[in-house]
Amino acid sequence: MSEPITQAADQPRAGVGRPAPALTFLALAIAALFAVPGGYVLWRTATAQVDHLGLLTSAATLDPLWRTVQLAVLVSTTAALLGTGLAWLTTRTDLPLKRFWRIVVPLPLVYPSFVGAAAFLSGLTPGGIVHDLAGAAGFDLNLRLHGLFGAWLVLTLFTYPYVYLPVAARLAALPRGLEENARLLGDRPRTVFRRIVFPQITSSVAAGALLVFLYTVSDFGAVHLMRFETLTQTIFRTRLFDQDRSFTLAFLLLALALLVIATERTVARRGARSAIISNQPALQVPLGRMKPLALTAISFVVGLALFAPAISLADWGLFGWLRDQNGTTALRMDWSDVIVPTWNTIWISLVAAAAAITAMLPIAYLLARHRSRTGDLVNTVVVAGFAIPGLVVALSLIFWTLHASPFEFLIGSLPVLVFAYVVHFGAQALRTSQVAVSTVPKQMDDAARLLGARKFRRFFTVDLPLMAPGLAAGGGLVMLSTMKELPATLLVAPIGFRTLAVEIWSTYEALYLPETALLALVLVGISALLTWLLVVRRASHLA
Amino acid sequence: MFKPKYFLTPLLAFSLLLGLSACGSDDPQSLTVYSGRSEKLVGPIFEAFEASTGITLEVRYGSSNDLALVLETEGNKTPADVFLSRSPGPVGYLEDQNALAPLSDDILNRVSADHRSPDGNWVGFAGRGRVLVYNIDETTEAELPASVFDLTDERFRDQVAIPGSNSSFQDWFTIFRLRNGDDAAINWLDDMVANGARFYPKNGAIVEAVGRNEIQFGLVNHYYNFQKVAVNGDAQRSANWGFADGDSGGLMIIASAAVLNQSDHQDLAQELIEFLLSDEQQTYLTESVYEYPLAIGVSPSAVLPDTPADTVGAIPIDDVSSAFTRTMEIIEASGILDQ
Repeated sequence: MSEPITQAADQPRAGVGRPAPALTFLALAIAALFAVPGGYVLWRTATAQVDHLGLLTSAATLDPLWRTVQLAVLVSTTAALLGTGLAWLTTRTDLPLKRFWRIVVPLPLVYPSFVGAAAFLSGLTPGGIVHDLAGAAGFDLNLRLHGLFGAWLVLTLFTYPYVYLPVAARLAALPRGLEENARLLGDRPRTVFRRIVFPQITSSVAAGALLVFLYTVSDFGAVHLMRFETLTQTIFRTRLFDQDRSFTLAFLLLALALLVIATERTVARRGARSAIISNQPALQVPLGRMKPLALTAISFVVGLALFAPAISLADWGLFGWLRDQNGTTALRMDWSDVIVPTWNTIWISLVAAAAAITAMLPIAYLLARHRSRTGDLVNTVVVAGFAIPGLVVALSLIFWTLHASPFEFLIGSLPVLVFAYVVHFGAQALRTSQVAVSTVPKQMDDAARLLGARKFRRFFTVDLPLMAPGLAAGGGLVMLSTMKELPATLLVAPIGFRTLAVEIWSTYEALYLPETALLALVLVGISALLTWLLVVRRASHLA
Repeated sequence: MFKPKYFLTPLLAFSLLLGLSACGSDDPQSLTVYSGRSEKLVGPIFEAFEASTGITLEVRYGSSNDLALVLETEGNKTPADVFLSRSPGPVGYLEDQNALAPLSDDILNRVSADHRSPDGNWVGFAGRGRVLVYNIDETTEAELPASVFDLTDERFRDQVAIPGSNSSFQDWFTIFRLRNGDDAAINWLDDMVANGARFYPKNGAIVEAVGRNEIQFGLVNHYYNFQKVAVNGDAQRSANWGFADGDSGGLMIIASAAVLNQSDHQDLAQELIEFLLSDEQQTYLTESVYEYPLAIGVSPSAVLPDTPADTVGAIPIDDVSSAFTRTMEIIEASGILDQ
């Protein structure tokens, strides 16, 4: 029954019309740049002096691979359920304090996973502030946080925003007519959700869950602290002394990612999508007697994911600050140690976000307006960049810049750093850009053309203003990831370029926890502000 | 309304501009250092060097293994002149790759033979001891084990934390293995696993866990407990215990310095390493950041436990890569990483 409505859109269906050669060429050129890390992994694996088959089938490989798959499937499934549920609560119900929830629910995304997991661990285990506060309030939080359970919990709590954001946006923008008609025809709310709403959000859920999956397989910090031996752990432990094995395993990780990306592409294609974005407020479901339960659930999730680590950080930080104030132990940092990295973090992440959007736009046009093999290939290459561990991205760019490109003079400069961020995180802006492109009605473009506007003028005066909110939201995801990125920043950035993530790492390594905590709180604070400005306020267009 | 064109173009232009202006200069009075030791520890030494010589230092901080990988990847185009490594492993790896330049005899003779490369390409400049950290409310000194081999006893069941994936632990285990033979080392680790030893990823995490009595003992570097006590004072309920003199549980891991053979500033680079080994900087390292000084004639800070008898540099390793790969195989096979 949704089919006629989908068709009613004034969009050309994907696959109608061949892409212009210039567009295809541009997309392929961008994909070629995105292929640098994957190509390096491939080359290192092919030239590795190992028995590839023996290595790939040994228990030392298959065990961590199995753990990786288990964890990634678990995390992406629960993050999909959690993200979708929270999105529904905050957009389609009469939940109290909705505006507040919309700002705080996406924020757990901002914790760098090594600090988030550390704060989480030290707060929730016996002796930690959250554990003791809960004990004082009569709750016995007897969590043994390690292994699969610990890694699953932390990663789910820190990654569900990848699903929440696009799904919330999709839910908020769904035309109410569809659901109203179904209700008038006698469907109960649950049936309406299953038959009307769910098919409309499938592709957003799948796109978000894919990002969660890829984040999980490439994560190092959280699984490391949770003592869960996944492929990234083995890659990391063998990275210097057993490089052949390390790169071969990185190749395996990449192959796993490619498989999952191809699966998601199939799901996304099947999902129906109404191209009409509605400006009317979305249809609301009264929660009735479920209201207290819903409120408890959302408070519990946000409490665990956002406030528990923040309380631990505040505990460390406050402790250090108090000792500084009463003269016992001075804080080992001053204002310039905070201000310079904060400023660098803000502007470099904005530049990376803008560059990522610029790189994603031609690809988004190709994917949204045409159905082609080239599009599939480009999509796969770009998205795979997110699954390659940051260290490998950094090494591949160093190698490529110095030994295989005419850009040797750029080594250790900011363009290479921005390039690293874009290649690593660009995929996060791809789906939102694709949706942004498909919200531009083709007839509007046609009208502009009839009025004599030239291509570039049309792009800047018609397309871009329409797409801006969606693009900004996708850029927001890239920005948040860039703000907390560590391995590539350490190895590729110009020497002496300090970001908050670098400073947090440096103080954490020296076990200067009060300083770590204060810097992490600054990072969380500015991320919250920018998330609100760029993502939340425009989330309705982030379908 | 939000107009990206007013926003993207200047930012992109800005980034290009900054990028081009950031390209390195070939100032002869400037050295590039890759440091695997934290800025909080060695930063003040670099500042003192700049102040006393007028030479500018460009320092890239990172983990030693990552920086060694970067140095190998950069190959003959590396901008680095000096590499400071957290232990002999990564410098030893680069030595095997013929990436290092020989150090002058003056530098090598500043430290004892145990604390430098037998081939003369790297030198130790500061030491950290491997110790047992314990919770002082739960255990008295009299109850502490004399040997690391005692930890497989029933009375330590489920109570010992091992940082199996940590580089310092792997350094220690490599020497432990070479000293006692593979069989003894494998048996010890298997017995530890059978005795319920728990895996923790980091030394710091172990000291914290012991301090809050989540677990009672842990094999760590001595340095972390000093940091915790410096911040928490008496509230920190953990202390270090060195094993009996000569026991395989104690080991000094030495931070090491080397000059890259691609460096165009060999003399300045050696000058920096001489500076690291000067009495003044060695005294700073032991009095301010609680490491063991390695220069002959400088004594360790009075608050430090006795200097461990054995050091990681005392055993020459022919092939660093395969020695560490073998260590990792044994650690993986023991199952400790899944505990």
